[in-house]
Amino acid sequence: MILAENVTKSYTNGKTITPVLKGVSLRIKKGELAVILGASGSGKSTLLSVLSGLERADGGNITVSGENLSAMNEKQLTDFRKRKVGFVFQQYFLLPHLSVEGNVKLGAFLADNREYPEIIEALGLGDKKHSRPAELSGGEQQRVSIARALAKKPEILFLDEPTGALDENTGRSVLDYIAKLQTELGFTAVMVTHNPFAADMADSVIKMNSGNIAETYCNEVRKSAFEIGW
Amino acid sequence: MTVSWKDGLKLVGISIICACAVFVCTFFMSYYLDALSVHGEVAENALKLYESQLLSAKLTCLISGLCLLLVSVVLLLFYVKLYLDGHAKQIGILKALGYGSGKIAVGFWVFGLSVFLGCVVGFGGGYALTPVIYEQMSGEGLPEVPITFHAELLICFVLVPTVLFAALAVLYALYKLRLPASELLRGKSELAKGKPRIPKKNRPFLREVFFETLRARKTLAFFVAFACFCFSAMLQMSVSMMDLASVTMGAIVLGIGIVLSVMCLLLAFTAISSSNRTAVSVMRANGYTLFQCGAAVLGSYSIPAVIGFGVGTVYQYGLLRLMTELVFRGVEEMKTYRFDVPVFFIVLAAFLVLFGVAVAVFTYRTGRTSIRKLMAE
Ligand SMILES: Nc1ncnc2c1ncn2[C@@H]1O[C@H](COP(=O)(O)OP(=O)(O)O)[C@@H](O)[C@H]1O
Ligand SMILES: [Mg+2]
Repeated sequence: MILAENVTKSYTNGKTITPVLKGVSLRIKKGELAVILGASGSGKSTLLSVLSGLERADGGNITVSGENLSAMNEKQLTDFRKRKVGFVFQQYFLLPHLSVEGNVKLGAFLADNREYPEIIEALGLGDKKHSRPAELSGGEQQRVSIARALAKKPEILFLDEPTGALDENTGRSVLDYIAKLQTELGFTAVMVTHNPFAADMADSVIKMNSGNIAETYCNEVRKSAFEIGW
Repeated sequence: MTVSWKDGLKLVGISIICACAVFVCTFFMSYYLDALSVHGEVAENALKLYESQLLSAKLTCLISGLCLLLVSVVLLLFYVKLYLDGHAKQIGILKALGYGSGKIAVGFWVFGLSVFLGCVVGFGGGYALTPVIYEQMSGEGLPEVPITFHAELLICFVLVPTVLFAALAVLYALYKLRLPASELLRGKSELAKGKPRIPKKNRPFLREVFFETLRARKTLAFFVAFACFCFSAMLQMSVSMMDLASVTMGAIVLGIGIVLSVMCLLLAFTAISSSNRTAVSVMRANGYTLFQCGAAVLGSYSIPAVIGFGVGTVYQYGLLRLMTELVFRGVEEMKTYRFDVPVFFIVLAAFLVLFGVAVAVFTYRTGRTSIRKLMAE
């Protein structure tokens, strides 16, 4: 479970201080797929990075599966990320000189996961495992980055606009992989997106508006990636 | 995009090396030429001294001139390559718009500017210092050597290098630009070249990063080796030069050696650190420690570094042996050159410390780029 209470975060640039999170409180249950929606610049990525221990919040409390992030130092945060979380970013951020398999090993190594070839297969990358990222299409690259994150066996997967750089069809199929694997493996997923239709796929939806939570609600039924609009 | 003159002048490294080379060569060649002209006035008993002075001037000029020429060529090619890699996308766009490779490559002549600047400074400095060196080389029975200005040296040491280096930059750019626009745009130029080796089944991830980082950018590996080569060769050589030629000469070689190797290493590490920013921040985001990242990414360059150091040691030994035998052949008081073991170990220790510090500092710097910053780019 992810619990955030009155979380604040601002960025200082010289003399100007930009408040980005202005007291965010939320609760995401274990095993659910939560979607964070909001206009660009509303603080979604910042929220994701403080919830995942990438950055430290300025104020408030964040507890992730019983661990208090606010009380951790850099080293403990690194260790927390190692044990608990996986990341998928809009820009994939694959290591260009490693093969697909090498990239997936990045995650597998941390969890001492020897079954990572199964994840590569599950994401339909079996015949590409010796290719390099530059030889893959955008959708394939994003699937590699999902495989890399899942090879870590994370308790929580954080996704920041995973389909932001993809066309509609590719985006749908990537979302489908995410939702399917999430049900299958049972991890918690927190996904930022600016595609409002993706909300229909989620268990719970969090809407942000300039650094505040504007609305939260739960869906009774989840739609599949191919049923939602685009 | 055209290469601006500012880009040309950014090659401070080349300027410094050219300045060093031309500086040393100018005053020794001036001395050599001027001393030749007074051959008839040398007293009988000073003839031996006179000849050994000439030889020593020729020796230093040859060694430092050749050594530094090689260094500047390598450095120039490396700069052009880094520039092209850094601007691959823009160049791809230009090519897609229909600019020919030739038109883009010609712009690279400005890289000759820094050579020009360095040579002018070196020549001026060398010429200004001639009275001092003439004074030092004088001795009992030797006639006073008049200082004359040699226009042919100005041509050889300033004009010719400038033109040659400008041409070299253009030709090399032309060679590197032969890739089609689409590949430049995808950023494939460097990384997707060649099939990735089928990874060993159970090679741990960190070891895979270690070897693949090294394999992916061979130029950088070569450059690190080269920096360590310069460090090892020139530092060890400087001590021997103090015995064989003069203390001043040794000090000059020592100074040049330090400047040169530190500069090469800084340049290479800057390039390594910027080309591995994504790798390190992704690893950090996933929970790898800074130490793990440093050992796997920058640490892998310790292999070329050690090789460079070894080759440098052998090279300086060989070069000095050869040169002393060539130059001092037939001279009665032949100076012999022996390998200096204590100096080797001192230089090795300094090298290990410096390299370790460089890896630590650059790992720290690379690790500070958070993934959030990359996302914003
Ligand atoms: N490192 C930073 N320094 C200064 N301002 C930042 C930094 N990162 C983000 N911001 C600002 O914070 C606001 C929210 O950013 P972000 O969380 O990335 O929004 P979103 O992901 O919803 O588009 C933006 O106005 C952005 O300019
Ligand atoms: Mg964002």
